[in-house]
Amino acid sequence: MDYLSSNKILIVNLESGEITEDELDDELVSHRIGGVGITSSLYETYKDKDPIVLGTGLLTGSLFPGSALGIISAKSAKTGEVAHSPLTLKAGMELKYTGFDYVVVLGKAVKPVFLWLHDGVADIQDASEIWGSDVWKASDHIRRSMGDDLIQTLVVGPAAESGSELAQVCINYWGSGDCWGFGKSFGEKNLKAIALRGMGLLEISEPEDFVDQCFELFEKIKKGSFMGKTGIQDIFSAMGENDATEWILPLVHRNSACYNTPYATNTFLYLSEDPKTLTEPDEPEPGFLVTDPCALLGFKRAGLSAKDAGSVMKACAKYGINPLAVAEFCVKSGEKDPENIEKSLKDLEGPVSVPDCGRFSYWAPGKPLFSNFDASDTSEYGAWWKRRQAVAYIFGIHPIFANMAPELSEELMLEMVNKGTGLELNQDILDKVIEDVCS
Amino acid sequence: MRIDVDALKCIGCMACEMACGYHRDDAFALLASCIVVYRAREKKDYFGVVIKEEESLTIARPEGLEIKRIGVAEEPGSTGQKKEADASAKPMLLREPCDLCDGMKYGPMCVKICPVNAISLVEGGE
Amino acid sequence: MCAASGPPSRFSRKFWPFGDRGATGCHNNGINFYNFYASINQKLARGAEILYGDEEASLLPPARPCPLRVPRIGLYAGSGTSHSWLWFVDLFDRMFFHDVVFLDEDMVKNGVLKNLDVFAMSGGDTIRIAEGLGAEGAYELERFIGEGGLYVGSCAGAYLPLKSSKQHLDRFNFVDIKIANISKTAPTVKQLGRKATTAYGCDYVYHPVREEVRLRSTEKGPFSGVGSFLAPLYGGPSMVTGNASEIMAQYDAFTKKTLFLVDETLAEKTLIGNVAAVRSELGNGVLYLFGPHFEHPHFPIANHLVANAIFWDMKKSSVGGTSGMSEIVLDGAAKRKLVRDIKREISNARIVSVGLEAASVRWTIGCKIYEPEKIRVFLEAIWKRLGRLEQSPRIQISNQTLEEMTPSACEVTRILREVKSRIDDRLETQGIAPHLFDSLRRLTMFCLQTYFNSLLLDN
Repeated sequence: MDYLSSNKILIVNLESGEITEDELDDELVSHRIGGVGITSSLYETYKDKDPIVLGTGLLTGSLFPGSALGIISAKSAKTGEVAHSPLTLKAGMELKYTGFDYVVVLGKAVKPVFLWLHDGVADIQDASEIWGSDVWKASDHIRRSMGDDLIQTLVVGPAAESGSELAQVCINYWGSGDCWGFGKSFGEKNLKAIALRGMGLLEISEPEDFVDQCFELFEKIKKGSFMGKTGIQDIFSAMGENDATEWILPLVHRNSACYNTPYATNTFLYLSEDPKTLTEPDEPEPGFLVTDPCALLGFKRAGLSAKDAGSVMKACAKYGINPLAVAEFCVKSGEKDPENIEKSLKDLEGPVSVPDCGRFSYWAPGKPLFSNFDASDTSEYGAWWKRRQAVAYIFGIHPIFANMAPELSEELMLEMVNKGTGLELNQDILDKVIEDVCS
Repeated sequence: MRIDVDALKCIGCMACEMACGYHRDDAFALLASCIVVYRAREKKDYFGVVIKEEESLTIARPEGLEIKRIGVAEEPGSTGQKKEADASAKPMLLREPCDLCDGMKYGPMCVKICPVNAISLVEGGE
Repeated sequence: MCAASGPPSRFSRKFWPFGDRGATGCHNNGINFYNFYASINQKLARGAEILYGDEEASLLPPARPCPLRVPRIGLYAGSGTSHSWLWFVDLFDRMFFHDVVFLDEDMVKNGVLKNLDVFAMSGGDTIRIAEGLGAEGAYELERFIGEGGLYVGSCAGAYLPLKSSKQHLDRFNFVDIKIANISKTAPTVKQLGRKATTAYGCDYVYHPVREEVRLRSTEKGPFSGVGSFLAPLYGGPSMVTGNASEIMAQYDAFTKKTLFLVDETLAEKTLIGNVAAVRSELGNGVLYLFGPHFEHPHFPIANHLVANAIFWDMKKSSVGGTSGMSEIVLDGAAKRKLVRDIKREISNARIVSVGLEAASVRWTIGCKIYEPEKIRVFLEAIWKRLGRLEQSPRIQISNQTLEEMTPSACEVTRILREVKSRIDDRLETQGIAPHLFDSLRRLTMFCLQTYFNSLLLDN
C-alpha cells in the first residue's frame, strides 16, 4: 500500500522477543478495506496465539473530519469473543504515524515490558520499574524516560495486573472505550503499556481532490446540527439527559476534541481548582478529562454528586478499571461515598451487563446524537448503531462523532478512500466487510 | 494580514496543524507546520496554539494572546533560561514561517478548516 | 525532482533540500544547477571524459580545455564548527559530489589532507576552530594549499585564513586580506546583541546585518555570467583585499529579507561595495573565501558558484589514495541491524528534540549561542538520509565508525533525555550543552560519512 498507509504490519512476539514486519498487501486492503476489517482478519490468522491486534483505518490521521480512530481487537475477557475497542484522543492518529498500520502482539513476556513504537521502529522495553504503578504514574514515567510529553500511551493499571476482568486499557491518563476487559489481556501478557510516537508522513494518491473534498465536507459540517454544541454536557442533552447537563456544568473547565474531530467529545472537570481558571494552575493534577459520557451518567444514576463522580472516574483511570462497570456496581450496592468506592475498586468482580452491541464498544451512546439519520431502526444499540459503528471502525472515524454526522455517508467514505489510495473499493466490498465484522 | 487565534474557542483537535502540514508537504504530516497546538500540559487541561510568523512567535494561551518578537534579546541567564518576553533567534527553526498559505486556493487553510472558528484572518502585519 | 535521488518515502519534504517545491529554488531562469552538476558528476564517476567547453559542461565558463574529474572533498566538521557545514553536505549531495571525507581537527593534524583535492570549511566559532586545529593543523592546511589544494571557506571558514594577530588565529595568516567589519568601539546594536558584535582583541568585530543580501559578481573566471545574486550572511566578513587577491563578488544591496543589527547607514558603509567573495593564491593552491554562506541550500546561484569554483581550481592532478581509514562493506543482516540500530536512536533523539523546539532555554558555547532548535538540524540531516541507507543492499563503513556509531547515537539520546528532564525540572543545562553538541556533531559525522561512502559504492 503506497497511500494513506505506512505499508507495514508489525508482528511482536513478547515471549521470544522476535519482531517482524509484513507488508500491507493491496490485496488484503481490497478485500478487507482496513481498520476493524483487517484487525479482525489478523486476529483470525493468529488466534491460536491469543493476539492483541492494534490498527487504524485508511482515513485515520488524514484531514477527513473525525479521522481520529485507532482500534484494539482482541478476545474479550468478559465475553470470550473477539471484540473491538476504540483508541481516540490523539492515540489513533499517533499510531498511524508510528509507521505501522497494524500491530499484532503475541505471547507473554517473561518479565514486565512496554512496547515502544516510533518512526517505524518497534522496541520491547523493560517495564519492571512501572509494574505495580497506577496508570498516571506509568504514563508519566514513560513520557519522562523517553523525553517527550506528546507520547501517547495505552496503559494498564493495577486492575490489569491483578487479573480483573474489568481492567481497562487507558489512554495516557484517561479512561477509554475499552469496555471489554482488554486491560486483563495486557496484564496476562506482562504488557504494561504500548507507547506511541510517530513523525511520519502519509502520501495521498490524489491529494488535491482529497483535500478539496475534505474542505467541502468541513463546510457542510460547520452548518450541521451539532455546531454550537460542545462537550459531554451537550452530549447529555442530545441523549435526553438534560438534568445531567446541569449537574456537570459547574465543574466544566474546557472541552477538547480528539484528533481532527469537529465535535469536542471530551470534557475536563476541575475538581480541585476553580473551573473558571484560565491560567496554568499550580496544582499538577487539578481534575479529570471525561471521555466516557455513559460512565459519567452511570455515576449520576448511582446518586453521586458531579464532583464525586469526577473523583471516582479519576480513581478508576488511575487504577485502570472500566468506570462504567464501577458505576453499575455503585447502582447495585447503593454506595455513594467516593472514598469507599475507591477503596472497593480492587475487590470488584462479578458480571456486569453488556448491551446487545455486537463486537463494538458500548462506550459510544447507543443512539444518533443531535441528528436524525435516515434509518428505520435507530433503537438503543440497534441495527443502525451497529452498522454505523462498523463503518467508523473500518474507516477510522471517531465512533461518537460518526453518530452525530450524517454528512459522513458510507458512499462518501468509500469515495474518499478511493481518492486517497487509488484503489477501487465499492459498496459491495464494504457491505461484505460490515457483515463479517458484525457477525 | 495575519492569523489570529482565540485559544478559548480552540478544542485542540489539531486540524489546523495537519492542514498546515499538508500545505508544506503535499501529504499528511505534522513536522513542518508553522501552526502547532501545544498540548504538553495534558493533566492540567492547559492547551493553546503557537504560530511561527516571519518576525514573531504568536502564542495563543487560554488567558490571552502573547506575541514574542523573534530574537529581540538573547542574553541567557545563569541557568540558560531565556527571558520570558523573547523568542529565540530562530524559534522552531525547521518550520517555515506562516505564509498565509500562499499559492493555495483555499486561502489560509487553518482558518478554513477550524471547526469552531477559533482561527481567523485579521488585518495588520506582525 | 531536482536531483536524481529523491527524499526517502514518508519523510517531510520540507527538510529535504532536493524537493521540487519553490522554496528551495532549484531553478534559475529555467536552469537547474543541481541537475546539471549531478549529471556531470555521475558521468565522471562512471569514467566519462568531459572537458571544459564540451556541451555537457555548458554551464561552466569557457576555460582552457582540460578534463574534468570528480574531486575528493574534505569537509571540516571539527570542534568549533556550528551546524552550517551541513549546508555543504546538502550541496555536495545534491550535486553528486559524493567523494566526501568528513574531517575533525585530529584528522587534519594526522595528514588526511594530502589525500584531498578540496578542503571546505563553513561557519562556527573561528577562534575555537583555530585553537582546535592548532599549529599542526595550520601547518597541514598551509601545506595542503601550497601543494595545489583548493580551500573553500565561508563565514568562519573565510575569517580563518585572514590576516590576524590574535592568539590561535595568528597561525593562519595565509592571505593578505583584512576584515572590514572591525571597529575600535562597539557600534550601537539594534537587536540580537550577542550576534551583532564580538570582542576581537582590543577591537570589535561587528555584524551589521543578517539573513539575505544581494551580491554582485565581478564576472571573473568561475564567477562569470551570473551578474547579481543572493546569499545569506550570518556573521561572515566583509573584506579588504591586497593586490594578490582577486575580488570575485561584492556586497551590492540589501533586500527586504535583510535583518539590520546596527544602524542602516553603518551597515551600508560597512558592506555595500566591499568584498564579499575573494579568490587568492597560495603556492600552487587557491583559496576561495566567502563572507556569506554561498553553500546555503536555499541559494542556487551561490551554490552554483561554489561548484564552479571547485571544478575551476581544484588540485590539478588526481590525488588518489584513500582517506587512510580502513573500511569494510556491510551487507545482509549485519547491514540491516546496524541501520536499524541507528534509526532507532536517531528516532529516539529526534522525538526528544521536537519536544525541545519551544523550550525556553539557550546555551553559550565558546562565543556562540546555541538554541535547542539546532539539535534537530543535525538529527534531520541524518534522518533524511537513513532511507537511502535502508534501501541500499550494502554500506561502506570504517572500522572505527562501525565501532563508535551506535554507542555514539545512544549517548546522544541519553544526553537529550537528560537535558529534557532537567529543563522540565527547571535545572541548569549549560553544563551539559557542550557535550551534547559535541556528541551530536560526532554522530552526524559518522552517519554522513557512512552515507557518502555508500553512495560511492552504489555509484
